[in-house]
This record gives sequence, structure tokens and C-alpha cells, in this order.
Amino acid sequence: MPAERRPGTDHEHHEWSPISTRGKLSWPNNARVALCVIVTLEHTEWQPPNDGFNSAASGGVGVRPFPDYPRYSHRDYGHRVGIFRVLDLLERLGIKPTVVMDTQTVQGYPYLVQHCLGRGCEIIGHGESASQMISGDMSLEQETEFIRSAIDVLKKATGSAPKGWFGTDYGESERTPDILAQLGISYVCDWVNDEQPYEMKDGLFALPTMLELDDQFTMSNRRVTIDRYAQMLKDGFDVMYRDGAENGRLLAINIHPWLSGQPFRIGYLEEALGHMMGHDGVWAASGSEIIDWYRSNMPV
Amino acid sequence: MSLPPLRVDYSPIIERPPIKWPNGERVALWISPNVEHYEYMPIQDGPRNPWPRTAYPDVQQYSYRDYGNRVGFWRMLEVLDQHKVRCCVSLNMAVLEHFPEICKAMVDRDWDYMSHGIYNTRYLYDYPEEREREFYQDNINTLKRHTGKQLKGMLGPAISGTDRTPDLMAEAGLIYHTDWMHDDQPVPINVKSGKLISVPYSIELNDSALFRLNYEADYFVDMCKRQFDQLYKEGAESGRVMCIALHPFLIGQPHRIKFLDEILSYIKSFDNVWHTTADEIAEYYIENYYDQAVSHAQQFKA
Repeated sequence: MPAERRPGTDHEHHEWSPISTRGKLSWPNNARVALCVIVTLEHTEWQPPNDGFNSAASGGVGVRPFPDYPRYSHRDYGHRVGIFRVLDLLERLGIKPTVVMDTQTVQGYPYLVQHCLGRGCEIIGHGESASQMISGDMSLEQETEFIRSAIDVLKKATGSAPKGWFGTDYGESERTPDILAQLGISYVCDWVNDEQPYEMKDGLFALPTMLELDDQFTMSNRRVTIDRYAQMLKDGFDVMYRDGAENGRLLAINIHPWLSGQPFRIGYLEEALGHMMGHDGVWAASGSEIIDWYRSNMPV
Repeated sequence: MSLPPLRVDYSPIIERPPIKWPNGERVALWISPNVEHYEYMPIQDGPRNPWPRTAYPDVQQYSYRDYGNRVGFWRMLEVLDQHKVRCCVSLNMAVLEHFPEICKAMVDRDWDYMSHGIYNTRYLYDYPEEREREFYQDNINTLKRHTGKQLKGMLGPAISGTDRTPDLMAEAGLIYHTDWMHDDQPVPINVKSGKLISVPYSIELNDSALFRLNYEADYFVDMCKRQFDQLYKEGAESGRVMCIALHPFLIGQPHRIKFLDEILSYIKSFDNVWHTTADEIAEYYIENYYDQAVSHAQQFKA
């Protein structure tokens, strides 16, 4: 349905709320910024289905005809090499990672599930694979089954149901938030419209990420260079840290190990995250820790 | 000579009688934030697909832009207030209806407004004549109702239009159209009735053009400074117009906002700049230069 011209936003998933009118959000220990580093592990299929979603983010060389050795293997680098570099860095800095895992990663790389659990990562749901994005083309039944299956696979592999969801390529239909809430998910990261968490409906909260600070969006889609990206991370943090003195901010950053885990890039990520963690008043926490706190401390 | 669509008479800038701004300023500077709303579930009505990435909705792209209204606008406003900038907004009129806090913030600052359509996901391309006429009345009435101001100009919704657009704008009483990226000064646009001019907007000094590509805000600063320096130099002979086009969802990002401050600080360090709006530029130009420009251009006709 096209928008109706009336006060408020043009969908029913959450209320309109400009940040300028909100009460003060206080983080634990009066931190100014809650820092959430999300690490996305999604598997790129050798032979993607014909009706899959062909993401523009394909590394330096674009999409080739089948079989696309460079694309497949470039992405797989993240699972074989990059992830460990990224997790080591986060551990050194004292940042608990929130790891996004799709079904093909869970089932094809059981080592990574155990490795991430062993390092205390929170693991959240993603979908089936890199090429399969939720969209309005799915029926209600298809989409519900798609999400339920991803949740079930994670539950079986990790021993507990994921609390969070971050869909492949931020994909949603009009129904996605409702389905996520019905399936017991507490927070969703697909909505990039804020610098604080907010309540959606039926127990579901939004944990907004900064799209412009998503390494894949910025470096792979937009082709911004790594030095500039690192500067964006630092500049963005500095302003959120300043603004967070008045009203707490959430800085959620989505990192892809196949990209930021490359040897020539990791140092820049270390420099930027190190800059953030060098400040007092930064609360590095996982997605569910942030949402649990927010739920109990929502500003009036 | 004039080339199709015969809307603008050719007039080389080096031959034109000089333009003097009201107090002899060299550059008329206007800042144009695009205050927009993109629909969650638009209807594709014409050749352009509002959300081409996926079946609707595109939550990533929708919420990216929604960020502008929830967060970015307010951060941008702090910097504009520090520099006492009175903007000429490129406004999706439905913002006035959806987001009363934004409406109030703009009205409190006595900003000017040009229409940027109703929503940024509703384009003019396939509008029949009568529907386009109604569109202008809707824009005029909505702006008047919420801000008390009379609509004077338009940047088409997402810079869309029809062949008839300039005629119908003029018929509705509008005086300027900013879809034309063709000049550093206002120039007359030929219309069936009334008077219409173009006022230079910019698709280059425009965060939305830059930041979808691999340019970042340090480069934007450099572009704006160089643009200003060159126009300031040329403006000693004949007044120039400079527009900086902004989008709150882009310039209001935390990693970018200091660069807006840098641009405005630089320009504010110069005298002889007319800090103004497109409304004021258009009225001044029509009052003082429109007739002269029309007759002067006759000599260049083929």
C-alpha cells in the first residue's frame, strides 16, 4: 500500500520517534556509547539457485558465469582465514562478538560453530546462504518456514535458540518483523534508521546497525578505500561519543571476515576499534546484552 | 541558436550583461537540504522503480533514508544553526504531514521551501496534463497550510518531470525550476504564459551524487572550497550562484557531520557573499534581469 498522508510513519512495525524528542537513554556505568561488533559468516554457494539474490557485493571482480571460482573462494576466505584474525582482534580489545551465521555455514562448518561458542560469541540467525535473501516475493508460508528452519538449525547446533536476527543483505518482506516475533526472536538488525535501539511489536526490538559503517556496503559496494573506511569509523565514533554524553548512543558495526579479515585490511580495523576502546565510557557488548539492558531501562 | 527542447535560449556567459547582487556580493550562496520521505511500500507508477534492489519493501534502503528524519536531520540542524544558515529546503511535501517535529523545526527557523514533490518515491514522468496540474495545486496548498508560505519553485520529485512541466509550473504561479544543471547564473525558461527561470542547483556539489560512489566527505569539502573560490573570483565581474545540496540521511551521519562544518566555516570566512535562498534569488533576478536577459539572448538565435 502506498503511504497515507497522516502523522507518523507509513508502516505498522514501529512508532515514529525523532531522536531530538526522546528521554535520556543511560547505558551501564553511564557509558556514552554501546559498541556492538557484528561479524557476519555467510556461505556463498558454489552453484547459487536461479531464483537467488545476486548481491552486488562480490569482491573486486564482479559476478562471473558459473562456475565462479574467484567469487566462491574469495568469500570462503572469511571462513578459512579471515574469521580468526577478526576474532583474535576483538578478543585482544575486549569486545564480545555477535556472530551472524547462516544455515549453510552452521551445517558446512561445524568447526566454526564450536569455535565461536568456545570463544564466548553470541550467535544469531541469518538465513540459508549468501544468495538467498528474504523478499516480498516469498509467500507467508515460505518465509515462515525459511526463518524457522534457520532458527532450528542454529538451536540444534548451539544448544539454544538465537535471540537475534540479521537477514541476508538486510532482506525483509512486509511480514518479517511479525514472523520474527512469533518465532521468539527478541531483536532484529535489518533496520538501519537509528542510533538507539527501539521497540517494535510483540516483544521484538530493533538493534539498528550503521549501514555506512558496514564494511561490505562501504568497501565492496561503494569501493571506498580501507584507509578512508577506518577514518569513517573513527570520525563516526567521535561524534557518537560526543552526542552520547547527552543521550546514550548505539554503534553497531557489521564486519565481514572475507573482507576485513584480509591481511592488508586488518590493521586498519585494529586501529579504528582500538581508537574506540581507548576511551572511557564505551560499553562493548553483544546484541542480546544491549537489548536486555534496553528493555529494562527504556527511556520515558 | 536554441536546440530542442527550445526551453532555453542560448546565451554564452561571457557575453551577458553583468549581474549585480543586492549589495554587490560576488556569489549568491544557497544551502538546500533535501528533506524527504521515501515510501515503505510505494507503487511503481511509470518507468522508474523506486526500490530496484528487491521486491518491496527494501528495508535496507528504506530505513537508510528514514535515518535522515529520525537522527540525521537533527544533527545537520545543529551545524546549520551554529552557522546561522537559513536554508531553502527541497521538500517532499508529505514530510509536513508525517513528521510534525520536522515541520516545526523548519518553520521556527523561517526557512524557505521549494517543492520536491509529495514523496520521493512518486515521480512525474507519466503524469497526464490534468494530474500534473492537480499536483501543483496540492503542493501549493500543502505548503501554505503547514508553513504559511507561498510556493515559488520546484526541484522535481527525485528530479523527475514531463515535457509540459515548465509550462504547468508557470501556469500555477511558480517562478523557478531547479532541475536545470546548465549554468552558474539564473536564466529564463521559455513557457507559454507567465515568467519562469532556472536557479542553479547542483548535481555535483551534492552529497547524494557523491556518497553513493566511492567519494567521501573530505573530497566533498575540497570540491565545495574549489567551487566557491572559482565562483568568487568570477563573481567580481558578474554575480554567480552557488548551491550546496544536502540529504540529512547522508550528511547527518556521525562520520560526516564535521565536514559540513568545515565547508560552512570556510565560506563564512569571506565577505561579499549573499547568504540567501532560491526564493530570494529568483525574485531578485526576475525583478532586475529577466527582461534584459530575454532580449539580450535574441542576438544568438540562429
